[in-house]
Amino acid sequence: MEKKLSQMKYEEKGRIKKIDQSLRAQIAGMGIREGKEVEMMTKQPIKGPVVVNVDRSNTSLGLGLADKIIVEVEK
Amino acid sequence: MKKVLLMGQANVGKSVIFNRLAGARVMESNYPGTTVDFAKGRMRLDHEDVEIIDVPGTFSLEPKDRAEEVAVRMLEEEKDALVVCIIDSSKIERGLYLALEIIEKGYPVVIALNMWDVAKDSNIKVDARKLEQILDVPVVPTVATRGEGLKELVLRMNKAAPGEIEKIREKVGGKSGTHS
Repeated sequence: MEKKLSQMKYEEKGRIKKIDQSLRAQIAGMGIREGKEVEMMTKQPIKGPVVVNVDRSNTSLGLGLADKIIVEVEK
Repeated sequence: MKKVLLMGQANVGKSVIFNRLAGARVMESNYPGTTVDFAKGRMRLDHEDVEIIDVPGTFSLEPKDRAEEVAVRMLEEEKDALVVCIIDSSKIERGLYLALEIIEKGYPVVIALNMWDVAKDSNIKVDARKLEQILDVPVVPTVATRGEGLKELVLRMNKAAPGEIEKIREKVGGKSGTHS
């Protein structure tokens, strides 16, 4: 099932399927690219950033960025 | 005077390596017009005094904040500098992204695979020699907090040469022009 990264639930795992072209270069340096496995670590309330785990390191992403990343989640 | 730039992402140990290499002769300064500060020092390289600069950490060469902007500008202003790119061995993929960007710009680069002990403890094996063959620049495993590998790092700074991004691409079988 496909969903936005920002819609993932706590502890949910998935694989990045598509990243909006406009932010590809911006987040590639953080190790986030298509095909990478991600796990949702924390979601901050009131439109706060999300924290995802990629390659055993936690990275926080603004909700605006997380909205433009499509993830394939299991089930 | 020849300059050595220490570059890398945030929290990979740039400043630890800097303090080890520069010793006591260190000066803190602000980048003109900003509140982003960095440290400058001197070290001996090949019987010569060189300036060594602890550049603010940056994820990539596409800056996202003031500190990253300064990092990128410092790199661009020092066209003749030698760059020591420091990578967290346990997070090697994203570190290599920055390293490749710097190599692509044509700077002579030495790569320090720092936190080698951390990677080992988490069962991450990195083949430094293979990486060296692929990138065509010296790659040295280091544990900066204990000073391991730093001597070799300095010795191999002389061998820093500009890598060739096209050749690297051929070796890893990547397609040309996919890097944005």
